Amino acid sequence: MVGMVIEIESMGEEGDDVVTPGEFLGEATEFIAGKGAYVSPNGRSVRACLTGRRKITAPPPGSDDNRSTIEIVGHKAHGAVPQPGSIVIARVTKVMARNASADIMCVDSKAVKEKFSGIIRQQDVRATEIDKVDMYQSFRPGDIVRALVLSLGDARAYYLSTAKNELGVVSAQSISGGTMVPISWTEMQCPLTGQIEQRKVAKVD
Amino acid sequence: MDVDTRNMTPTNLVDKIVVPGDVVLDLTKMENQTIKLGSGLRQDCDCVSVMQAGKLRLSKPNKYWVESSQKRYVPSLEDTVLGIVVEHRSDNFLVDIKAPNLAFLPVLAFEGGTRRNIPKFETGTLIYARVVKANGIMNPELSCTDASGKAAEFGQLKNGYMFETSTGLARMLLSSPTCPVLEALGKKISFETAVGLNGRVWVNASSPDDVILVSNAITRSEFLSGTQQRIMAEKLLERLEKS
Repeated sequence: MVGMVIEIESMGEEGDDVVTPGEFLGEATEFIAGKGAYVSPNGRSVRACLTGRRKITAPPPGSDDNRSTIEIVGHKAHGAVPQPGSIVIARVTKVMARNASADIMCVDSKAVKEKFSGIIRQQDVRATEIDKVDMYQSFRPGDIVRALVLSLGDARAYYLSTAKNELGVVSAQSISGGTMVPISWTEMQCPLTGQIEQRKVAKVD
Repeated sequence: MDVDTRNMTPTNLVDKIVVPGDVVLDLTKMENQTIKLGSGLRQDCDCVSVMQAGKLRLSKPNKYWVESSQKRYVPSLEDTVLGIVVEHRSDNFLVDIKAPNLAFLPVLAFEGGTRRNIPKFETGTLIYARVVKANGIMNPELSCTDASGKAAEFGQLKNGYMFETSTGLARMLLSSPTCPVLEALGKKISFETAVGLNGRVWVNASSPDDVILVSNAITRSEFLSGTQQRIMAEKLLERLEKS
């Protein structure tokens, strides 16, 4: 069904031209598909799957395979994208009865270029006594949390989890405006007023 | 002249009108004391300052708060309020209680409430309920049972007439001993009222004339003293007898 238009591209060009997804880059016998490229289903051609410029890297010396690697280098750099299993830093935006929403800001210590939404459900806040979790005593809007991406979730948001010792609130402001200091895994204290507030605190080494 | 230091309160602003910014307590001068701050006050490092205009109150030994009156209502735990049903979702009713957010009333939060006998409240139904969850961030949650699970006057209010007041007048109507205007009216008319701390009052009586008279008397009594309220109520009742 897909039109197999084989365009004769001159090989070995360090492209100044932009290639688009689906465009033929080279034969699979001569090139390895790198980042941004893939081997087409019939196994014979290497095609692009991103928009960008073509980049050919010579094979590393001493390897058996003497094919060059074709990569697509974006004319705008792509930021990090959360994947299941990656640790993210997010800012809590809304706390509701059964879940809390957060905006993902960094993925594995690299900042994201566009906004991703995450949801921390009540059962994913901590590992023990998950049906007695009070969302208001775990997070507040504005808290910075370290979380684990559980899955890609639904169309609206990733599913995040803080159900480990090293996950949870890493930084929070008190009602009086001071940055709070953690004193246990459930409490943080404001240095200005001495008031103690409840959070699900991350154990930071 | 010896000053009796045992009775000196740390502030001389108790029972006076305060405005936002007034410093009420200097905590450096009060050591080893536990003070409870209620609504309208906040701790600013070493001093306690006022956030809301009103009258500063002290409940011995150590509870301070600011009593103010507005048209808006800020939900607080264990308040009894009058709400109007706005929408029916699958597991709770959305109820308007004059607060910044709509309140949730779970469909099971009634005496003997099960999935089979969910009450059918249409949009516009007036409900007398109790606030069970109120923090500034999430939608408040209501319940139509008391703490032990009994219905206890909570639920739908049928017939009658509901009007809106300020929160200060609602508190005055609920004060004990009985508010003078209600006492004076009760001597001549039989009526029932439900007062919501969110500034809504519901009145029901056998005839519409009585309902109107009671509602007007309550609305007019807001800034009157006890004696003035009695005189005003009696004047209105005389008019009723003449006609």
